[in-house]
Amino acid sequence: MRADISPRAKVALYGVMCVLLIPFVFPTWWMVTSSIKPISDIFAFPPQLVPQSYDWTTYSKVFELQPFVRQYWNSAYIAAVVTVGTMIISSMAGYAFARIRFPYANAIFMIVLLGLLIPSEVTIVPLFQMFLKAGMVNTHWPLILVPIFGAPSVFATFVMRQFFVTLPAELEEAARVDGLGRFKIFTRIALPLAKPALASVAIFTFLHSWNLFLEPIVFLSSAEMFTLPQALTQYTDAYGGPMWNIQLAAATLTALPVLIVFIIAQKQFVEGLAHTGLKG
Amino acid sequence: MADVTLSDIRKSYGAVMTVHGVDLDIKDGEFVVLVGPSGCGKSTLLRMIAGLETITGGTLNIGGSVVNDLDPKDRDIAMVFQSYALYPHMTVATNMGFSLEHRGASKAVIAERVNWAAGILGLTSLLDRYPRQLSGGQRQRVAMGRAIVRNPQVFLFDEPLSNLDAKLRVVMRGEIKALHQKLKTTTIYVTHDQVEAMTMADRIVVLNGGRVEQIGAPLDLYDRPANQFVAGFIGSPSMNFLEGKITEAGFQTSGGVLPLPKLINSEMGQTAVYGIRPEHFRLSDHPSHASVPAEIVLIEPMGPETQVTMKFGETQVTGVFRERINGAPGEVIHVSPEVGSIHLFSEDGDTRLN
Repeated sequence: MRADISPRAKVALYGVMCVLLIPFVFPTWWMVTSSIKPISDIFAFPPQLVPQSYDWTTYSKVFELQPFVRQYWNSAYIAAVVTVGTMIISSMAGYAFARIRFPYANAIFMIVLLGLLIPSEVTIVPLFQMFLKAGMVNTHWPLILVPIFGAPSVFATFVMRQFFVTLPAELEEAARVDGLGRFKIFTRIALPLAKPALASVAIFTFLHSWNLFLEPIVFLSSAEMFTLPQALTQYTDAYGGPMWNIQLAAATLTALPVLIVFIIAQKQFVEGLAHTGLKG
Repeated sequence: MADVTLSDIRKSYGAVMTVHGVDLDIKDGEFVVLVGPSGCGKSTLLRMIAGLETITGGTLNIGGSVVNDLDPKDRDIAMVFQSYALYPHMTVATNMGFSLEHRGASKAVIAERVNWAAGILGLTSLLDRYPRQLSGGQRQRVAMGRAIVRNPQVFLFDEPLSNLDAKLRVVMRGEIKALHQKLKTTTIYVTHDQVEAMTMADRIVVLNGGRVEQIGAPLDLYDRPANQFVAGFIGSPSMNFLEGKITEAGFQTSGGVLPLPKLINSEMGQTAVYGIRPEHFRLSDHPSHASVPAEIVLIEPMGPETQVTMKFGETQVTGVFRERINGAPGEVIHVSPEVGSIHLFSEDGDTRLN
């Protein structure tokens, strides 16, 4: 950016940025403030940007109406297992595709990449039937196995492969001369150097798993097994209408850990996403 | 320390052969430089010795045993790479001790060896730093430290100075030579820089197109190159070559007749190539039977000497003179080649005729 930007241009720039901020910040602001409004205030006209009265009981009701702690735990441990599993599988597969010469390596990699082109909606029915036969419906196995061996992992493998391709071959040769075998080269040299790529894989895998919605509603049927995105849809009244304030309180609690991690590790997030070539 | 013997070593990638049967005996403690232009196979040869490339044919012997099929780690060699290949996530000390650690050496032994190597290379104060915090020369020294720390049988250097600036290259050249004199470990060093080869080697191996052109001591190669390629490759500025015919009067070229050495292996009337190094021209004040006229094209004063590009007939030649020359382009000077320093090659350049 040019350093000699004029004060007037600076004011204009900040003005534009403030306007652009509204569509990003407003939904979050509305979610948080509405979670503590009585339900009638949410639909008040003119809209209340700042709550006039507070109703903190919505947060306790979140935990009364559903086993929310259990659901929180479900989401957290599934996302953690998926993240670690994907990191292991994608780093090993990415390394193999980048560094090990084996017959048809490129053709196999292309076939693996094709997995990215198939929408999850297409495979969900056959997957459901497979897991049904295996007796895994209404367990967390599908939510763990499908991402680890499915499209998210393929994308992670692609990211890791692209990183390992750029790793200087001489580093590995030096390690070979130093006496390391292939697996030790991977664990002692390649993997520690792949931290930035691994971090970005961890970030997007965790977010993907945390936000997963379609798979849970297909595979899970009891409230005890639900994950957070699915649990949010269950805060309804006797007529099936959403209990907006309680639902938004639950949504706030759901977004909270991601928001906290983002605020703490903002720099790593941005760098990680830049590394994947993803546009935020 | 060990002898290294290469017998008919060959390398091919599919149908393309890049190294055509190299034979080389390297004695224990010797410093051998493999030199040649890009793509001559010198790095491939070194990498085959290291075990980083498979050997297509022939036998490689290190320290009395055939190592063709051994992994690099089992050959007891250490290698310094062009890019240094230091592990970026490890400190200098960890980089240097890494191979010992991997081979199960105790912490005390590792610390002792690392400190010993660091002491020799002046790295003691840098042991806790990471490679990114070091200058090019320091990185180079760490790479050497990593090589010497486990006292291997053979050191291999793959163009280790080519990433350094000219001044540092000269300094490091001296340091590598001094290190070899101290440790007396058999060393094989690859470079494309003939000055490096000349200044460092006990023996030079000149390679071209995957074949050995000549093996010999630096000054032997300089004084008696076996063929036109070696003659042109060794020496800077490089040797001048003139085409012509051997006659009773001398060597007949388009620019005149040049004096010939007495003992030559050829017949009268034979077409040949006349080689003369730039520093083997002498300036003559007056025309004589031993001198030839040359038209000045360019004068480059270097300080201790003057480099003159001259036109001799249709051929442009370079001369280096101790004298300062007050001429201008277009003027004619008289120069005479030193008869004792003339090189005659066959027309195809493959054979030396004197």
